[in-house]
Amino acid sequence: MTGLDDPILPTSIAWGLLAAFSVLWVVLGWWLGRRNKTAEDHMLAGRNVGLALATATAMATWVTANTTMTAPQLALQLGVWGMLGYSLGALGLILFAPLARRIRELMPRGFTSGDFIRLRFGTFTWRVFLVVSLIYAFGWLVSMAMAGGVLINALAGIDYRVGMTVILTVCVIYTLLGGLRAVIGTDFIQTIIIIAGAAFIAWLTIDKVGFEAIHFNLMEERPELLSLLFPAAIMFLFNNLLFGVGEIFHSNVWWSRAFAFGRNVGFRAYLFGGLLWLSIPIVAGFIALATPALGINVPAADMVGPLVAAEVLGLTGAIVVFIVVFAALASSLDSLLAATSDLVTRDIYRGHIRPRASEQHQFRATKVIVVLLGLLTWLAASYRGEIPIVGSLAELLYFTGAFVASAIWPIVAGLYWKQANPQGAAWSMILGSGIGLASYFLIGFYVAALVGAAVSLAVMVLATWLAPRPFDWDRLAREDTHAMGSPA
Amino acid sequence: MRILRPLLPALLFLPLAVGAQPAFDAPPERSTDGGFTLAWEADAAVVLEQASGPDHADARVIYQGGDTSTVISGLPDGEYRFRLRAADADDWADQTTVTVEHHSLTRAFGFFAVGAIVFLVLIGAILRGRPRD
Repeated sequence: MTGLDDPILPTSIAWGLLAAFSVLWVVLGWWLGRRNKTAEDHMLAGRNVGLALATATAMATWVTANTTMTAPQLALQLGVWGMLGYSLGALGLILFAPLARRIRELMPRGFTSGDFIRLRFGTFTWRVFLVVSLIYAFGWLVSMAMAGGVLINALAGIDYRVGMTVILTVCVIYTLLGGLRAVIGTDFIQTIIIIAGAAFIAWLTIDKVGFEAIHFNLMEERPELLSLLFPAAIMFLFNNLLFGVGEIFHSNVWWSRAFAFGRNVGFRAYLFGGLLWLSIPIVAGFIALATPALGINVPAADMVGPLVAAEVLGLTGAIVVFIVVFAALASSLDSLLAATSDLVTRDIYRGHIRPRASEQHQFRATKVIVVLLGLLTWLAASYRGEIPIVGSLAELLYFTGAFVASAIWPIVAGLYWKQANPQGAAWSMILGSGIGLASYFLIGFYVAALVGAAVSLAVMVLATWLAPRPFDWDRLAREDTHAMGSPA
Repeated sequence: MRILRPLLPALLFLPLAVGAQPAFDAPPERSTDGGFTLAWEADAAVVLEQASGPDHADARVIYQGGDTSTVISGLPDGEYRFRLRAADADDWADQTTVTVEHHSLTRAFGFFAVGAIVFLVLIGAILRGRPRD
């Protein structure tokens, strides 16, 4: 970990904030989840979440470490296109709106994205999907735990591992206590904090530094960041869009919400959530472009957001950034812990290990799995910088891009193409991930998702055209609550 | 512990003796996106300079302080020379050269076009989808 010359937030204030918000989230988690009696309550919040809470949880969960910390990093590395390209991630949420409606109609009693793939495409494709999905979920979990540690280190100089451990522990505890109901409830409060805090920081940055100074210094020292013909940034544009689409379309974080939202809520919640989200990466990313004007040294690219905000805004800014990013991190970490533990419980534990596990047994298993996931995440995040791909936040995140983008087409074709066949779905994920990963190492992190999605599309179209296999949509509704472990 | 005790004074001073001169830590040679991280090992504050010519005629200080790395980005094509010294020393302790050669625009727009096609097909697939058809 790079040492920092002069942290802006005094250690005592940082510990005070950390303690106050940790207690707030844990108490809220306990309070919101106190009526959970069954696995279905815990996993899907009773399947009746209303529009306001649904919109807030969609938006807050999508504002993650990736948005508040990686958007500035990409603005610093890829300039104006990096910042705008990142905001295209909103299209993932917006395009998921019609999918959410279709999912709720096709599978009114479904639990996980794995349920859908198993029933639609059978066991082999289901297993490939689980590998893809778990690699992504784990990468995302580790990147957020890392972001927590980086944030606390950048602002307060507290050791990276100590900060990372505290944030991860808090999220594990309140997810454990409250399940999806706690996750969605805390997301609502966290959304308000994120929107108000990000707007405040951007307004103060423009007010204090000014557009002219930012533009002049960028032209002098880092001119490519303003160039509209910046090659790597042009390559990145659709990569990021497809990465976001892949993340949302396949991940159980979003599927579990589609199952949990009340009837006719999903479409509007994802649409409004996406539109609200659109401006956040631009606001968060923009401040990184002020780096040359401010003469700040950025020791690691993923530290730039908190460093600039704290430098421009002083102690107040550091406190606001700390609260905003802690809220953003917590709102995503909890969602991912909850959704991933559901996936592991339903699809791995019940699907592969104990098919006859009772409702109560699953309820307990979900909680044990949350703790195990937390421990594994802690182990991987502890080795930031020492494991090659666990380098910076963006590198780790875009490594998973090849996997998730290759899952776009099995999901879309599975939901809309009557003739899509299981082999096509499985091989589109295998070849898309493999070739996408090769491009990550051979070309750069900014093309992995793009290549993965393109290969996956080609395989899916070809397979459906060569070997069409009609599917009866009604089977999804008929069989979605039946025993697992065998294909429909 | 008893065995180590006589060695403690020597162990305490060891890092000072070994790391007196700041030095770059595995600097990159090339960049295809105009950005990279320069890291160095140093015991105290350093001065880092960037120049574009071999004689460092246009050199400017890009960092001075106690951090041990810096992120460079947004550089156009070219050869960039960096040199490093301790803040309280006059002589430069280490130097390195990084070549920036961006991807060609043909390649960049090739990827852009592939992305646009995948995206349009995606929009088409979702818009054409009919519930329960």
